[in-house]
Amino acid sequence: MAHAIWSGAINFGLVTIPVKLQTAIRTNDLRFNFLHKKDEGRINNVRRCSVCGEEVAYAEIERGYEYEKGSYVTLSDDDFQRVNPEATQSVEIVQFVELSEINPMYFDKPYYLEPEKRGRHAYALLREALRKENKVGIARVVIRSREHLAALKPNGDALVLELMHFADEIVDQTTLEFPSQEKPSDSEMKVAKMLIDTMSEPFDAERFHDKYREEVLAMIEARAAGKEAPKAKTKAPVRDNVVNLMDVLQKSLEASKKQRGNGRAAQSKEEAKPKKTAARRKRSAA
Amino acid sequence: MKAATPKRTTETIVVGSRTLVISNDKKVLWPDDGYTKGDMIRYYRSVAEYILPHLRGRPLTLQRYPDGIDGESFFEKHAPRGLPDWIPTVEIPSDSGRHSGIDFIVCNDEPTLVWVANLAAIILHVWTSREDALDVPDFLFFDLDPYDGCTLATLAKVALGLRSTLAEIGLVPLVKSSGGSGLHIAIPLVPEYSYEIAKGFAELVARTLHERMPEMTTLQRVPAKRTFGTVYLDYVQVGRGKTLVAPFSLRARAKAPVSMPLDWAEVEAMSRKRSKETEGEFERFTMKNAPRLLAERGDLWSGRRWKEQRLEPALAKAQKRWRKDN
Repeated sequence: MAHAIWSGAINFGLVTIPVKLQTAIRTNDLRFNFLHKKDEGRINNVRRCSVCGEEVAYAEIERGYEYEKGSYVTLSDDDFQRVNPEATQSVEIVQFVELSEINPMYFDKPYYLEPEKRGRHAYALLREALRKENKVGIARVVIRSREHLAALKPNGDALVLELMHFADEIVDQTTLEFPSQEKPSDSEMKVAKMLIDTMSEPFDAERFHDKYREEVLAMIEARAAGKEAPKAKTKAPVRDNVVNLMDVLQKSLEASKKQRGNGRAAQSKEEAKPKKTAARRKRSAA
Repeated sequence: MKAATPKRTTETIVVGSRTLVISNDKKVLWPDDGYTKGDMIRYYRSVAEYILPHLRGRPLTLQRYPDGIDGESFFEKHAPRGLPDWIPTVEIPSDSGRHSGIDFIVCNDEPTLVWVANLAAIILHVWTSREDALDVPDFLFFDLDPYDGCTLATLAKVALGLRSTLAEIGLVPLVKSSGGSGLHIAIPLVPEYSYEIAKGFAELVARTLHERMPEMTTLQRVPAKRTFGTVYLDYVQVGRGKTLVAPFSLRARAKAPVSMPLDWAEVEAMSRKRSKETEGEFERFTMKNAPRLLAERGDLWSGRRWKEQRLEPALAKAQKRWRKDN
């Protein structure tokens, strides 16, 4: 089994459900080491003091906050310890809310809460109750000595603990320029809706891959096997495009046919006429 | 500079019912070949009966080379000052609506053609719709543009691939040399479809062809990203205000090549040739020999061959065949 981040409990009211906090997201980033081009030696980071020029051991390092240019307030490990929240190792539910009340931008990173054996029944009860009520729990939780705001959500058979941003981390929209007054016309909306309809299909996450990672990996594998790297193939998923295009075209054709059928074609020809006469103002019998 | 800098001359000629003043007809426009503006005017007059049907009613963009093909050129959409009042124009409102719009020349007759040629307008670009229905194209086209390293055979094979792809869905295309290094392939349309639809259709066909000939074709718009030896399938030239080099227009290249309508059999023959480059093949059609050739073969883009086609049945066939095809 995966190694848990901590073992603790979900608490709400008088109920305690023993759980383990487990990673839910694998970071797939490829990790590279810096090497010296000449001999492929690993590059070490040397911590060197800018005042005396000496190399500095970790034990000799403290943290300083530059409160004004060149002036530092220093904090020791003890200081940090003092403000550290108590490592309670618990998920303290403080309220329940409807999921839709939470702007999805607040969600940051999900973790699984895995029940201990003796907590399985209560775990399932909480999960089903949340699901039935369409609610999520808002909780405080400490992970790696930092307290976080989190939402507790039913997800399949699991309860997922999703860390959330604090309100002051979200950039205020009014600091950027977004169109608020512009009102698209009905006909624009109709066209847009048509496009959206034709491209609407159930979301299937499996369809999307990190192509960059796959291609870099393929390159690495080929190099490791002593072969030349395969040529990058960054072909667009043509098939999807073709099928989508056909559908969009079909709709546009049908729509324009309908227009013609309704006798609107005649109307649009009428519309075109004044343009034509204006266009021909310079014309005389040739 | 050439020693022979001729004096500025003017000459008056009668074309049909009009009397035109030709300036500087000795001006050399093709220095390597020694062809003058007068030669060009004679060429355009001699092919007038063939080229006019392709210009008639269409907003015309001129590409002018006042100092010859090695000098600077410029595109002229707006009818220049001094336009005689007997030359019709079509006013296209500008998109932004801010300016008064552009008055395009419409070349409907031989005197206009001569007047335009006198401006050293070597290349004639036309809209793909006509003045009575500017919003609906009466043909759509693909520009097959060979990238570095593309052989004549590859270009021809891609053109034939496009032709058979279109044939599958019941469409019959026409082909012409661009006059440069590539081919233009056109599908005459019943003028009922919006540019949006025509454009989407062109993209559909181009993508389908690219899928079938991935090694020989590219859809990459940025030249530097194209693969050596491929043909660029340019389907983005379909749109209101976009233009095509008219059939029989001259090109500003050595030997004064002509954009020439071709028979598909000629393209089939090209697919068996071994030329490394494509230009040589299309330099066969020039200002010198095109009038004579035309008298023999006529305009392969006219009459029965210019068949306006419908997109609904084509799309229905595409839906049936291309959806599953993988």
